[in-house]
Amino acid sequence: MSQPLLALHHVGFRYGRRDLFLDANLALESGTATALIGPNGVGKTTLLRLASGIQKPTSGSIDLDGRPLASLSPRQAAQQIALVPQQLEIPFDYTVQEVVEQGRTPYLSRLGGLTAADRQQVDRALDLTSTAGLRHRVFNELSGGERQRVKIALGLAQQPRLLLLDEPTQNLDIGRQIELLDLLAHLRSTGLAVLASLHDLHLIAGNFSAVLLLRPSAAPLYGPPDRILEQSLLESAFDCEASHHPFFSQLPTRAGS
Amino acid sequence: MDLEVERRRQQRRADTNGAASAASSPDARLTKQRPASRSSSSRALLLPLLVATLLGAILLSLSVGAVPIRTTTLLRAVLLQNELTATERIILFKVRLPRILSSAIVGSCLSVSGLLFQGLFRNPMADPYVIGASGGSVLGASLGIFLFAETSLFGLSVTALLAFAGSVLTMVVIYSLARSRGQTNVVTLLLAGFAVSTMLANCTYVFEVLDSASGSGTRILLSWLRGVISTPHWTGLVFAAAALVAGVLLAFPLTRRLNTLALGDETAQQLGLNVEHTRIAIILVGSLLTSVAVALGGLISFAGLIIPNISRVLLGPNMTRLLPVSVLAGAIFLVLADTLARTVLSPTEIPVGVLMALVGGPFFLYLLRRPRREISL
Repeated sequence: MSQPLLALHHVGFRYGRRDLFLDANLALESGTATALIGPNGVGKTTLLRLASGIQKPTSGSIDLDGRPLASLSPRQAAQQIALVPQQLEIPFDYTVQEVVEQGRTPYLSRLGGLTAADRQQVDRALDLTSTAGLRHRVFNELSGGERQRVKIALGLAQQPRLLLLDEPTQNLDIGRQIELLDLLAHLRSTGLAVLASLHDLHLIAGNFSAVLLLRPSAAPLYGPPDRILEQSLLESAFDCEASHHPFFSQLPTRAGS
Repeated sequence: MDLEVERRRQQRRADTNGAASAASSPDARLTKQRPASRSSSSRALLLPLLVATLLGAILLSLSVGAVPIRTTTLLRAVLLQNELTATERIILFKVRLPRILSSAIVGSCLSVSGLLFQGLFRNPMADPYVIGASGGSVLGASLGIFLFAETSLFGLSVTALLAFAGSVLTMVVIYSLARSRGQTNVVTLLLAGFAVSTMLANCTYVFEVLDSASGSGTRILLSWLRGVISTPHWTGLVFAAAALVAGVLLAFPLTRRLNTLALGDETAQQLGLNVEHTRIAIILVGSLLTSVAVALGGLISFAGLIIPNISRVLLGPNMTRLLPVSVLAGAIFLVLADTLARTVLSPTEIPVGVLMALVGGPFFLYLLRRPRREISL
């Protein structure tokens, strides 16, 4: 079997005296998309931060190409992995172009500025996300959907092999959600691996090949969507009785549980 | 009773006004285009223009004073190297020129440290005076003057080192107070700065009382607290200029990192930036420049606020672009302000710090009134 791009082995994170999660396992291959789901406060953002390398797990190990992620310098990690944050608050009126140029930070020399090659990557990131037309607009004045695409462009300017997204569909209308999913599908077809946390479970089918479910009081579950998106599993993970809800009633029920 | 009713009515009126302006502002911002001066062709002309303006301002300032010297005489002296009387020489080279260069250095130092601190706090309200760095520097320097006036370490006077240390310490305290979870709370920042400044200013008054016998230190301290630009010896001026050049050269590679920091600590970290090291470097360079400004001009309020903010409106927020503009515009601004300060009530002069407070105060209030989105981060 081929080496996965990113692998989490029994990863746990302890926050203060509480275990946020324990024993999370995951294997991300290039060109695949995995959804990260779970109730509020279960640690989805934290798991993404661990996967990006900016935070270290309290137990277990994370490997990139079979090498410990922790052995990479922050700069090296930033050349492989991009994390698209849920919120990007920028003081002052930076333009879209100026924001996306920051994605080249891991490639710049100590004193140097952007080279022609860097500018080319910035243009490519803007083109991929259809934000080239926004490049001279002020980031703070963009709509939610435009901001989301610019944030992804910032991540793509890093030329990552793994794109981590924190709630990318949050606050987007259905049209912008579909636009975003199409963009992710396109990026996947270029060989990028995607791990995205989501609240809208109905967006998973057809768009994501695997699901990691974080649960408040049980071990995380990892598998294909049809095995994880199962009524009783979700009801217990999200702590609700929802069999009467149209979305839940469409889900398969596991016989005998 | 009537008073209470009137107060409520005013309150309601204020609320409706606030709501109306809040409702109209998004539209106003949507239609905003980037200013023409952000284009590269007019940018190329800007720096030479600023250099010319600075030279013009220096020439103007040289010519005015208790003994006016005509600018044509000055120009001829520069170009043909003669025609100056002995008195004119003394006035120009012993009095006016050192003072003018001193004010230019102070202006550059304050503008650049203001720019750096605004980037550090991700907030346009930051300024070495407002956040208390200048106050810390004055306290450090006072300690030096009153306790170790004659001591020197590695050739640098202890007073200068303590001025620098005072600024660094204050910055570290303010920074840890005002930052929580990667955000700077503007109210906490301003209140912390206010508290520290007040504390430090009053500490220095204690020195004044303790030193009432000799009096020389007290005189220096008083001029520092009021913000009087000193007329230094040429050696002092050379040291200060060297420190300014060093500070600006060190600030230059930091500007790109400040642009990255604008995206927030977490995103900057994720982009591979060593956020902690960058912050420490900004605090050290900003404090170096602040203490140079304090050594030459004492407490001058708001200068570090006005120049970077006006430049940002005209040129956009890119720190790399703002740095050279702040150096030059800051120098021009303070040369002109100090010229005004020493001539407007001639033969007496008002401290430039007092003048700046009168001009800068309203500007500060104007910044406070701007849309919350920009200042509350």
